[in-house]
Amino acid sequence: MSTASLHTDHHAQDHHDHHHKETFISKYVFSMDHKMISKQFLITGIIMGCAGLIMSLLFRLQLAWPDEQFGLLQTLLGKWAVDGKLDPNFYMGLVTIHGTIMVFYVLTAGLSGTFSNLLIPLQLGARDMASPFMNMLSYWFFFVSSVVMLSSVFIETGPASGGWTVYPPLSALEKAMPGSGLGMTLWLVAIALFIVSSLLGGINYISTVLNMRTKGMSMNRMPLTIWAFFFTAVLGLLSFPVVLGAALFLIFDRSFGTSFYLSDIYLEGVGALENVGGSPILYQHLFWFLGHPEVYIILMPALGITSEVISTNARKPIFGYTAMIISLMGISFLSFIVWGHHMFVTGMNPFIGSVFMILTLIIAVPSAVKVFNYLTTLWRGNLRFTPAMLFSIGLVSLFISGGLTGIYLGNAAMDIQLHDSYFVVAHFHLVMGSASIFGMFAGIYHWFPRMYGRMLNNNLGYFHFWLTFISAYLVFFPMHFMGLAGVPRRYYQFTLLKDFEVWADTNKLITIAAMVGGFAQLLFLYNFFNSIFRGKKAEQNPWQSNTLEWSAPVEHIHGNWPGEIPTVYRGPYEYSRPDREEDFFPQYVPDESAPETLEPVKTKKAPKTEELAEKQETSTVFFAAIKKVFGLS
Amino acid sequence: MTITSPTFMHNSLYKRFLAILFAAIAPAAIFAQAAATDIVEPPKEFDPSSWDWVSILIWVLVALIILVIARAFDIGGLAEKVTGKKIASSNKVNATVGIIILILGMAGVFWEISNHGKHLLLWDAASEHGATIDSMFMVTFGFTFVVFVVTEILLFYFMYRYQYSEKRKAHYYFHNNKLEMIWTIIPAIVLTFLVLRGFDTWTKITYRGAADHEDYNKDYEIEVFAYQFGWKARYCGEDNKFGEANFNFISGTNPLGVAVSEQVDSLVVSLNTQVAELEAIKAAVKDSTAVWQKEYNRMVSTGLSKAYVKDFAALTEKLNDVKCGAYERKLEKEIDRKKTNLTRIANYRAMPDVFNKAGNDDRVVTELVLVKNKSYRFRFRARDVIHSAYIPEFRVQMNCVPGMSTIFPFTPTKTTAEARQLKGNQEFDYYLYCNKICGAAHYNMKIKITVVENEAEFNKWVAAQAPLVAPPASATPAAPATSDSTATQPAIAIR
Amino acid sequence: MENTQVQKIKDKPPLIAPAKFNIILIMMSSSMLFAAFLSAFMVHQPDAKAKETWTYFDLPVFFLVSLVIAALSSVTMVLAKRAGAADELGKLKTFIFATLMLGLAFCVSQYLGWQQLVEMGLTFVNPRPEDISASYVWVITVVHVVHVLGGIILLFIALVKSFKMQIHKKQMTFLSVTNTYWHFVGFLWFILYLFLYFAR
Repeated sequence: MSTASLHTDHHAQDHHDHHHKETFISKYVFSMDHKMISKQFLITGIIMGCAGLIMSLLFRLQLAWPDEQFGLLQTLLGKWAVDGKLDPNFYMGLVTIHGTIMVFYVLTAGLSGTFSNLLIPLQLGARDMASPFMNMLSYWFFFVSSVVMLSSVFIETGPASGGWTVYPPLSALEKAMPGSGLGMTLWLVAIALFIVSSLLGGINYISTVLNMRTKGMSMNRMPLTIWAFFFTAVLGLLSFPVVLGAALFLIFDRSFGTSFYLSDIYLEGVGALENVGGSPILYQHLFWFLGHPEVYIILMPALGITSEVISTNARKPIFGYTAMIISLMGISFLSFIVWGHHMFVTGMNPFIGSVFMILTLIIAVPSAVKVFNYLTTLWRGNLRFTPAMLFSIGLVSLFISGGLTGIYLGNAAMDIQLHDSYFVVAHFHLVMGSASIFGMFAGIYHWFPRMYGRMLNNNLGYFHFWLTFISAYLVFFPMHFMGLAGVPRRYYQFTLLKDFEVWADTNKLITIAAMVGGFAQLLFLYNFFNSIFRGKKAEQNPWQSNTLEWSAPVEHIHGNWPGEIPTVYRGPYEYSRPDREEDFFPQYVPDESAPETLEPVKTKKAPKTEELAEKQETSTVFFAAIKKVFGLS
Repeated sequence: MTITSPTFMHNSLYKRFLAILFAAIAPAAIFAQAAATDIVEPPKEFDPSSWDWVSILIWVLVALIILVIARAFDIGGLAEKVTGKKIASSNKVNATVGIIILILGMAGVFWEISNHGKHLLLWDAASEHGATIDSMFMVTFGFTFVVFVVTEILLFYFMYRYQYSEKRKAHYYFHNNKLEMIWTIIPAIVLTFLVLRGFDTWTKITYRGAADHEDYNKDYEIEVFAYQFGWKARYCGEDNKFGEANFNFISGTNPLGVAVSEQVDSLVVSLNTQVAELEAIKAAVKDSTAVWQKEYNRMVSTGLSKAYVKDFAALTEKLNDVKCGAYERKLEKEIDRKKTNLTRIANYRAMPDVFNKAGNDDRVVTELVLVKNKSYRFRFRARDVIHSAYIPEFRVQMNCVPGMSTIFPFTPTKTTAEARQLKGNQEFDYYLYCNKICGAAHYNMKIKITVVENEAEFNKWVAAQAPLVAPPASATPAAPATSDSTATQPAIAIR
Repeated sequence: MENTQVQKIKDKPPLIAPAKFNIILIMMSSSMLFAAFLSAFMVHQPDAKAKETWTYFDLPVFFLVSLVIAALSSVTMVLAKRAGAADELGKLKTFIFATLMLGLAFCVSQYLGWQQLVEMGLTFVNPRPEDISASYVWVITVVHVVHVLGGIILLFIALVKSFKMQIHKKQMTFLSVTNTYWHFVGFLWFILYLFLYFAR
C-alpha cells in the first residue's frame, strides 16, 4: 500500500509544481494558499466588524437620546430616519443585522476562518490544508455571503428585522413586518451561502488535523489552539446542517405556502391565513440546535488562542494540558444537548425544561476548570505584557464576568424573570461580544508577524486594549441591572414606559462608553493597515515561542517550509525548563539528551520530601495567593 | 523621570487624551440635558439645514485627534529600540494600570450595586412564587459574587506581582491532578446545589399549572390575547366557562375570535361580500387594464410621470403585474383564502359543541383586574406572531404562540394601592409588557393590571364590563359587543 | 526555490487519502441535515395528529421501485470498484456506465413517484393545509435527489476518467470516493424509505 499512498501523495502535491507562474488573480484573489486565505478571511471579517459596530452605534444613539433629532442621521439614512429620528422598523433591522454580522461573519468566519486556516497547517507541520481548492471555495462563498448580507441593508423595504434569531411567524410573513419581505429572503440566501462556506472550511480543518500532522506530532503534542479549532470544526460540521434544514423550512413557508411553522394566524389587513398544522416552536428547536453549539464555536477558538498566548507570554507551560483538552471535549459534547435553555419560556413541557436546566449547569464546570487553569498558568509566571497578552488576560476577566451570569440564566426558574431582558444582553455580550473579540484581537496581535512579516505597534496596542476593555465593562455591566429591573430587550425606546424612565441616564452612559470603544477601534484599524506596509520587519520568532509556525521562514512560500518539514520532539509548552538556559525550548529543536518533559514521575515509593512538596503545593496555591494579598505570612 | 522616558510620555498622553475625550463628550452631555427636559414635548418640525454643525465638527475633531495620536505613537515606536529595559517599563505601566483598573472596577461594581440596587425588583415580588425566584437569585448571587471578586482580584494581582524580570525564571509547573480534581469537584458541588434548588423552584412553579394538579380547578382562569400591537383579555363571565375561540372567527368586532353566533354570522356576510367584490374586480380586469393603460399613457405624454413619481411607479407595477398574470393570481389567492375561511367556519358550524353560547357572557377587556391572594391561571394566545407576556413585578413570563395556548399560574400578593405606598410613587401601576420581538411597535405593547383588595370590588368591576352578547332579558338595546371602546368601562377605583 | 524532488519523497504521507477523509466528513454533515428533517417530522407529527391536521397516505409505489434500483446500483458500483482494483478496464467502464444509468433511473423513478403524489392531490404547496405530512415527504425526497445528483456528477466524472485510462489499480482514490458516496446515498434512501413507511 505504500506505493498507493505515494501516488496519492504525488497527486496531492502535484499542484505545487504547476504554480511557478503566479498571476495577480491566482496569488491574491483566487488563492489556494492557506496563508493568503486566512488573510482574506481576516480582512473581510474586520470590514464586516466595522459595519456591525457602526450599526450598533446607530441604534445605541436612538436608545440614549430617544427624543432627540439628529440631522446627520437623516442625511445618512434618508427615509429610515425621517425627522432625524430612527425608524422603528429600521432600528430592529439594525439590531438584527448587527447580531447576524457579529455572530456569524466576524466571530465565526473572521475568528475560526482566519486562525484555523493560518495555524492548522503551520502548527501541525503540513504543507497546506487537506483540500486547498475547497479552502478557496470556502472563502469565496463567505465573501459572496457577506456582500449579500450587507446589500440587504440598502434595499427599499429594509433588511430582515426579526432579531438575529428570526423566529417565524414574524420572519415568515411579509405583511407582519416590512423587513420580512425581500430583506428576509436575502438574509436566508446569505446564511445559506455562509453555511456552505463553514462546512467546506470545517471539513478541511478536521481532515488536516487528523490526517496531516508532521513526524512526531502526536495528538497530545498539538498546541491547544489546534485542539480548540478541531473541536470547533466538529461542532460546526454537525450543527450547521440542522440550521440549514430550519432555513429550508422557513424558505418553503415564506415562498411556497407550506405550513411547517405557521398555524392559526390572523393578520391585520389580510385576514385569516390558510396555514394550519405548523409549529413555530419547531423552528426554535432546529435553530437553537445550531444556536447553542454556535456560541461555543465562537468561544472555543478564542480560548485556544488565549491558552497559547498566555503560555508564551508567561514563559510557563499551560497548566493542566490534559485537563484543558478534556474540558474542551466536555464543552463540545455538552453543547449539543443544552439548546432548550433558550426556550424555557416557550411553554414547553416543564420536565424537559428541568432536563435542559440540569445539563446547562453542568457545562459551567469545564468552563470553570479552564479559568482556574489560566489563573494558575499566570501564577509564578514571568509575564510579558504584549498587546496579545493583555487581550488574553482581558478575555479571562470578561469570561469570568460573563460566564458567571450564565449560571443565573441557565436556572429555569430565574430565567422566567430574566429571559429576553437586558440581563441576557449583558451576559452574551460579555462572553461573545467581548471575550471572543478579545481572543480575536489577541490572535491578531500575536500572529500578525506570522501573517504579514511585520510587527504591529505595541503602544497603540496598549491604548487599544485599555480603552476597549474599559468601554466593554462600562457598556455591558450596567445592563445587568437594567435586566434585573425588568427592562426588556429589543425595545426601540423606553420613554413611553414610566417604569423604565429611571434608566435614561444609564442608557446615555452606555452609549457614550460604546462610542469611546468604537473610536478605540480606529486606533486598531490604523495600526493594522499601517503596519502591513510600514511596520517594523519581524524576526523569525519574535515572541520566542515554542510552536512550529515560527520555524517557517518569514517570507511566505508555498509549502511553508523550504525542504523538509520539521520533526517534532516534544510538547509545545516547554517554557522555563529548569534544565535549559533559555526560557523556551521549541518543539522542533532536536536534542537527544533532553527528556521530553520534566514532569515529576509518580512512583509508589516516592521519597517523602517530594510527596510533601507536592502536597504543600496543592493546598497552598490559593492560600498562598490569599495570604500574599492580605499581607499575611 | 526625564521627559522623554516612556512612562512620562504615557502619563502625559493619557491625561491629554482624557481631556480631549471630555471635551468631546460635553456636547453630548448638553444634548442629554436638552433631551431630559424635552421628553414631554412633541418633536418639532425638522429642518435638515439646521444641523448642529458644532457637534458634528467636534466628533470629527475627536476622530482626527485620535489618528494624530496614533501617528505620534508610530514615530515614537520607531525611535525606540527593543531592549530588556523597554519591556520592563511598558510592562510596569500596563501592570500598574491593571491594578488601578481593578480598584476602579471593583469600586464601580459596588457603586452600581448600591446605586442601581434600589431600582431592581429583587426584594418586593408581588406574587407568591416570585419570592422563591428572588431567594433563588440571592443564593446564586452569594456564590457567584464571591467567585467573581476573588478571581478578578487574583487575575489582576498576578498580573502585577509576576511581571517580567530578567533575573528570574517562571515556575515550571505542568499540571497537578489533585488540584484539578479540587476545582472540578467544588464547582460541581456548588452547581449541583444550585441545580437542585432551581429544579425545586421551577417544578413548583410550573407544575402548579398542570392539569392534574389538585388545585387546578380552584384557579381562576383568564385568557390573555396578544396581537400586533396590543393586548386584550377575556374573563369567563357568570357561567364560569370560556366560549370556544378560533382564529377563523376573528373580525373587527370580534377581535378574539370567540364562537358567538351573531358575530360569526356577520363575519360570514362580510366575507361573502368581499369575495363577491374581488371576483367582480377579477372579472373586470380587462376593462380596468384599459383604463390604467390610458392613465399611464397620459402621465407619460404630459410628463406628469416625473412629477407624481410614487403614483407612477405604483401604476407601472400594477400594469406589469397584469401583463404577467400576477395581478390575477394575487386576486385569486385572496379569494381562495377567504373561501377557505368560509369553509372552515362552515365546518365549525357543523360541529355540535362549538357554538354553545358559553361565550356569550365572556367579557373582552383592555385592562386586567385581579384580586389579592387569589390563585390565577393566565392562558395566553396570540393572533399573528409570537409575543411574550412579561409581568416583571409578578415574576411572570410566558410566550404567546399562534397555534397553541400556554399557561402560567400565579397568585398576586400585593394590591396596587399597597405597591404604590411601598414604592412611594402614587402613579405606579402593574404592567404586562410584550417581551418577544413582534414588529414595529413591540416597544409599546402593554396592558395595565390592577390588583384589588377583595372579591367585592372585583365582581363590581366585572359586572360593569360589557359581555360579548347582551343578555336577552334586558330591555335596553344590546350593549355594543366591542372591547376597544374604553369609554364604556368605568375606571376601577383604587383605594 | 523549493526542492520539489526532495519534498515529494520526504513528506510524511497523510494517514488516509484526504479526498476519502473529506467525503466521510461530508457524509456526516449530510446525515445531520436529514436527521434534522426526520426529527422535525417526529416532533411535528404528534402535535398535528392531535389537532387532526395530519393526513395518512400510502407512499407511491415508485418510491419502492427506487429502493430496488438503488440496491441494484450499489451492486454494480461494488463490481465497478472490484474491476478497477483488478485492472479490468473493460468491465470497469461497463459497470460505471451501468451504475450511472441506474442512478438516472433512480431519479426518473423518484420523479414518477412525485407525479403520483400530485395525482393523489398531495402537492408540495398544500391545497389542504392538513397535508403537512405530504410536505415533509416532498422535502425529504427532493433534498435526497439533490444529493443523488451530486453522486451522478461523480459517476459521470468517473466514467470520463475511466475512458481516459485514469482509473486503475494504482489510482483508485477517485473511484473509491465515488463508491463510498454512492453507497451512502443508496443507504440513505433505504433508511428514509423505511422511516417514512413506518412513521407515517
